Amino acid sequence: MKLTGFLTTAAVSVFLAGGAAAEVRFGALYPFSGQLALLGEESARGAELAVDEINAAGGVQGEEVVLVRGDAVDNNQAIGEARRLISREGVKAILGTYSSSRSIAASQVAELSGIPYFELGAVADEVTGRGLKYLFRTNPTAEHMGQMIVEMIVEKVAPALGKDPSELRIGIIHEDSSYGTSVAGHQERFGKEAGLNIVTVQGYPASTVDMSSLVLDLKSQEVDVVLQTSYQNDSVLFLQQASEAGFEPGAIIGGGGGYSMLPTAEAVGTDVIDGVLDVDFTQYAVDTSYTPGLEEFVAAYEAKYGESPRSGHSLNNYVGAMAVLSAIDKGEGFEPEGIIEAVKAIDIPEGKTAAGYGVKFGENNQNERAKMMGMQWQDGKLVTVYPAEAAVGEMKLGQ
Amino acid sequence: MEIFLQILANGVMLGGLFAIVAIGLTLIFGIVKVINFAHGEFLMVGMYLTFLLTTGLDLHPYIAAAAVVPALFVLGALTQRFLIQPLLSARDEHVQIFATVGLSTALMNLALLIFGADIANTPVHGVRSQVQLGPVRVLEGQIWILVAAVALVIGLQFFMKRTTLGRAIRATAQNRAAAQLMGINDRLIYVLTFGIGAACVGLGSALIAPLYPASPTVGTYFVLIAFVVVVLGGLGSVAGAFFGAILIGIVDAMSGFYIGSDLREAVVFGIFLVILILKPSGLFSTRLNQSHVSP
Repeated sequence: MKLTGFLTTAAVSVFLAGGAAAEVRFGALYPFSGQLALLGEESARGAELAVDEINAAGGVQGEEVVLVRGDAVDNNQAIGEARRLISREGVKAILGTYSSSRSIAASQVAELSGIPYFELGAVADEVTGRGLKYLFRTNPTAEHMGQMIVEMIVEKVAPALGKDPSELRIGIIHEDSSYGTSVAGHQERFGKEAGLNIVTVQGYPASTVDMSSLVLDLKSQEVDVVLQTSYQNDSVLFLQQASEAGFEPGAIIGGGGGYSMLPTAEAVGTDVIDGVLDVDFTQYAVDTSYTPGLEEFVAAYEAKYGESPRSGHSLNNYVGAMAVLSAIDKGEGFEPEGIIEAVKAIDIPEGKTAAGYGVKFGENNQNERAKMMGMQWQDGKLVTVYPAEAAVGEMKLGQ
Repeated sequence: MEIFLQILANGVMLGGLFAIVAIGLTLIFGIVKVINFAHGEFLMVGMYLTFLLTTGLDLHPYIAAAAVVPALFVLGALTQRFLIQPLLSARDEHVQIFATVGLSTALMNLALLIFGADIANTPVHGVRSQVQLGPVRVLEGQIWILVAAVALVIGLQFFMKRTTLGRAIRATAQNRAAAQLMGINDRLIYVLTFGIGAACVGLGSALIAPLYPASPTVGTYFVLIAFVVVVLGGLGSVAGAFFGAILIGIVDAMSGFYIGSDLREAVVFGIFLVILILKPSGLFSTRLNQSHVSP
């Protein structure tokens, strides 16, 4: 029975492969179930929309793109699913993954099999830091986040507070897993290079139920600008307890995570979160002359899924997938070396994608033009305020 | 000085929070002799029930407690009757512990399935407003948690010492075989005790819900410290759990300010280890008995 099943499948695959001319398969490896399912699914939708658009325009090299889903529910399954996609489904490349740890695990498998792996959403340094040959990353990273936050303080926050950047007392707080620690490390490094006065750097476990002592510590050290890298629970806790302890720094700047999510704003109340800054992937309240194609993306999203995008993850995955697939379309064949050559030729300048940032792979196959953006919570909405060419609102500080 | 007093107040309030979670845990451990690893998930279930009642029926979260407490009692009693009791005759009593670990994972994933990974905010109904107590400021909701924890400790002591059912529960805890000989239905006692322990955390969840957003993993944030508190106070001692919780709360707040938030867990667990080395049975140990081992 089993053997017959296998033979039938094999026969069908041979048949499909034989009659192929019409389709080429790519893997979509994301966490579709478990803890990370919400944003994993959101990320995958971006890749799906890119595939729809490419297929509507005639596919890649005349062949229809078929996305085969793999569920990276945890690291082990990410590895298992990567193996399945490569050996059973015969995908020519894998797109993914949203979660850094899943990406790091699964891309090892792809590397050993010599299958290109395109990371469109995971931010940890180690994803591209390992010098893999077949791994490419299109999205901005933890390093870009730290860099952007420091740049925004120097260019925009300090002038708005009426101070020289070096006069500001900066406090860095972060949840102590690898995400918070690596972003905080970059903030410290870029901050020192820019001559900022960082008075304290403190980690705490993301599962903490009380941050009142940390708040009092920042208050007694007279910190002007707080940088927090956090998940949702600790973002809510810090903002609430800071407001309750009467701690009102000149600016609070979050690093993605909980700071970009509407439920966080609902939990702390719009009056408390108003004015709080956030640096993250491109979001939707942005100047669309800098992000051409964004409106069309949102329209396509709403038409396909019947709701508005739930976060910027889909947009960033869409931009990455579009860049990669369009490049493969211009290349020769679907052999790994051909695909690599095609994507290495990508040269999209800033301001020409729906996320604003350009695409060109540099050292370690990281997109060297990837960039985050600065947002501010204004009247219950996350509005882009930095850089100027993408801004749709003025940064309001120091009232 | 003002800062010191404020931190002390924060610590006591944090202690109250730990206490109200730990009391039910220590009760179940002391009487039923089961380490309930699903205790944090009971808290999580209670918080979601409070969330649903307050948003669905527009109730004050403290009024919702009137429904959440009995609901958690039933959940606890059912757990004992249909999960733990069938395992009482298992060769190794650790099987029961693994069963509660399984229940914990199941409840967490059930919540993930129903509510998703996002946080759920219970309306605050004013309990987040600040109260000035002399030189310090605390939240109204925190005071109610502390008051409820104290009342729960006193109420449980009274119940255990003065009522027939309470005496039967203590008798079963002290010597199960002798209690059976006196005509006490030990299985019923265990079911009721598990229910009461879960009801305690049910009360806690209704009080905590307006202060902390609920999420499928919220129980894990509280339960590790609750275990520390229970061991520190002396396994099974309700009053011990309360004072252990206040102590840990103060140590946590103080070390977070004076030593640094990176090290506060290290300090809390360091003190925990020192106390255990000096007084292995905990601060308020009850007499050890092994009667649950005999049939």
